[in-house]
Amino acid sequence: MTATATATSLSRDPRQIWRRARGILLALALLVIAGIAMALVRTGDQHGRLDPRSVDPNGSRAVAQLLQDRGVSVRVVTTLDEATTASGPDSTLLVTAPNMLTGHQQAVLRATMERQGSRTVLLAPGPPSTDILAPGVTTDSPASVRALAPQCSLPEARRAGTVDLGGERYRTLAATTSQACYPSDGLPTLLRLKSGADSDVTLLGSADILFNQRLAQQGNASLALQLLGSRNHLVWYLPSLTDPSATEGEDSGEGIESEEDFFGLIPSGWLWATLQLAVAALLAAIWRARRLGPLVTERLPVAIRASEATEGRSRLYHRSNARDRAATVLRSATRTRLAPLVGIPATEAHSPESLLPAVSARLTDGDGTRLRDLLFGPAPADDAALILLADQLDALEREVRTS
Amino acid sequence: MALTGRTALLAAIGSLPVGILAPSWTGMLAINAPLSLAILCDYALAAPVRTLQFARSGDTTVRLGDSAQVQLTVTNRSRRRLRAQIRDAWPPSSWPSGAEQGASRHKIDVPAGERRRVTTVLRPTRRGDRPAERITVRSFGPLGLAARQGSHRVPWTVRVLPPFTSRKHLPSRLARLRELDGRTSVLTRGQGTEFDSLREYVPGDDTRSIDWRATARHSSVAVRTWRPERDRHILIVLDTGRTSAGRVGDVPRLDAALDAALLLTALATRAGDRVDLLAYDRRIRARVQGRAAGDVLPAMVNALATLEPELVETDARGLSAAALAGAPRRSLIVLLSGLEAAPIEEGLLPVLPQLTQRHTVLLASVADPHAEQMTKARGSAQAVYEAAAGTQAQAQRRQVSEQLQRHGVTVVDAIPEELAPALADAYLALKAAGRL
Repeated sequence: MTATATATSLSRDPRQIWRRARGILLALALLVIAGIAMALVRTGDQHGRLDPRSVDPNGSRAVAQLLQDRGVSVRVVTTLDEATTASGPDSTLLVTAPNMLTGHQQAVLRATMERQGSRTVLLAPGPPSTDILAPGVTTDSPASVRALAPQCSLPEARRAGTVDLGGERYRTLAATTSQACYPSDGLPTLLRLKSGADSDVTLLGSADILFNQRLAQQGNASLALQLLGSRNHLVWYLPSLTDPSATEGEDSGEGIESEEDFFGLIPSGWLWATLQLAVAALLAAIWRARRLGPLVTERLPVAIRASEATEGRSRLYHRSNARDRAATVLRSATRTRLAPLVGIPATEAHSPESLLPAVSARLTDGDGTRLRDLLFGPAPADDAALILLADQLDALEREVRTS
Repeated sequence: MALTGRTALLAAIGSLPVGILAPSWTGMLAINAPLSLAILCDYALAAPVRTLQFARSGDTTVRLGDSAQVQLTVTNRSRRRLRAQIRDAWPPSSWPSGAEQGASRHKIDVPAGERRRVTTVLRPTRRGDRPAERITVRSFGPLGLAARQGSHRVPWTVRVLPPFTSRKHLPSRLARLRELDGRTSVLTRGQGTEFDSLREYVPGDDTRSIDWRATARHSSVAVRTWRPERDRHILIVLDTGRTSAGRVGDVPRLDAALDAALLLTALATRAGDRVDLLAYDRRIRARVQGRAAGDVLPAMVNALATLEPELVETDARGLSAAALAGAPRRSLIVLLSGLEAAPIEEGLLPVLPQLTQRHTVLLASVADPHAEQMTKARGSAQAVYEAAAGTQAQAQRRQVSEQLQRHGVTVVDAIPEELAPALADAYLALKAAGRL
């Protein structure tokens, strides 16, 4: 028998592969296009928030522009290292999201804030950051942002008048010297503290006065320009996730510095050779993983031992300690076998009156009571008695057979 | 697409120059780019798999326990040399466990435009049909780095027949049969005997067989002689219900019953009787009917090859109806079934009179030597309980067979190795007694 090649082959030809794959490819392409389109259409509110280069409603390009018009240079930094090096006695440091900083970063920032003559503005610092950045200040439940009156003697606030503030509300301990302004329900939302000998830090409950969409309202622009434009330079620190200092100084196990030291001790050749070996391992995995054809299945017959029911019954006897039943069965089997040996018809094998005399006549020591107990006696009291009974029955049968 | 160990080895060796000479991305690229290129070239240069042509030839039947050889002819019609590994896949039970890997895989080297033949040797471990599964070809390129892989399906079926191990008992039984026939006459008249001749009375003959009319015509006392009749009907009924699935020494009861059925068929065919067969659980699973004497054994072996026990309770009423339909004339019905108390008492006994009314019924069942061993267990409580359970089971079997014998059924109960000869002997005894 011969068959044409196309009839026997189970592999798909390129046309079939394309026909099968094109639907999936089309669906994937649609998914990618739809994803890109949706990303373009729906850029979120958080996009460019407080970024001095952003013209979004929540961006801050307007403030930056106004500051630059007044001769204040605005420098945007995204890492802590840049922020600490760029800030000095002639500059203001604006930290847009102090809550995003790790404990280690906050400690470094605190050291910068305590330097001679530095001026820092923190936007909406909450419980994660006030402990380190503003010791002696605690936060209360946040309030909604609304127009608030200054109600304090801070000159910048007096000049600015009513502004949109709210958010975090601060309590200060009695020992800390501070100027508290814009109270919302009795607690201030703007706080100016001394952070060092000649340096100060301003805590703002919310960042709304810096948004493009709110800058023109109330006295927002006035307050923002006074807070940020008091020095010649403004360092605008936008914390980012790619900041290497974020992973430093963690308390858990080995830091990245020690790891760098460890890898630094290994010659680079070893590392690259290991990488090449990993490639080789991947190829070996592909080689071993490819089967020569699929597994073949077949229906197997059920395997049941014929003696299963009998074994089950023996275990049931054992489980329920059915000594009486077991003894009855063994005795009656012995009686049935003895009857033809001693010349008794099988119908009378189970009557003591006919069987016992016939059996005892064949025995040398025909003890009648012992024989009756053995063949027709009560059920054994315990397992040992049952085993003994089985052995005695065997012995009796042997004796009758050999006599 | 498939890779080889050589590819992985080359990549591993490549780690030396990368580590020593150029530990950088450049070094990695310098090693891996040529390797990838070599893999792609090798894949492109490998002989195509889809255009291969296959043809099969060889055995279509094999007796269980023997080996079957199936040849596979591979024709390479492309213009490239085919260096390939071929797996000729069959169901797992086509080989003893562990032998599949060696038996189904072949290395093959076919120059362009030529063909080669490989032989797959099957040693099936179970009865039934073994259909060929797919043929998978892994065609390596000239460098041995990459391979094309594809499958073909070339249909072929090997039927695994019952082993019929009991045929070793056939010569001795045939000798007995000849003895039976050679006696030509028996002096007992039974059913199924026909009048043979008259001869002179010799002392020792049964006085009941004296033919008084012939004696009146002759001057001496004449007796009639009879001889066993030929051309009797035998219907073998196999019960393939749940009781036939139980294994005695790792062989299902059904297989022992098949063996006995085959020996009986061989013997009865030689004796000049007609044998039919019926396999039944809740419906007819196999049937052999009205075959000529020379044809009946092969037909039966073929019919029984694919028979498997079903895990259902046998419908005794339907079985007796099917048996009655299959035996229109008076015949010997051989029931190959179990002696379990419940199925017999609830199923067979009520319908037995219908069968025994017209036919002679013989019930053969496979005994379990393990139960016999259990009755001899002693020495611990568990062992004694085991002995009690075994004794109980045997007593029940004995009771059931006595019950059946009261209904006029001949019962043959033997362990698997002895069932076939015992059944043959029972058949010969019935024949000698003229009860067929």
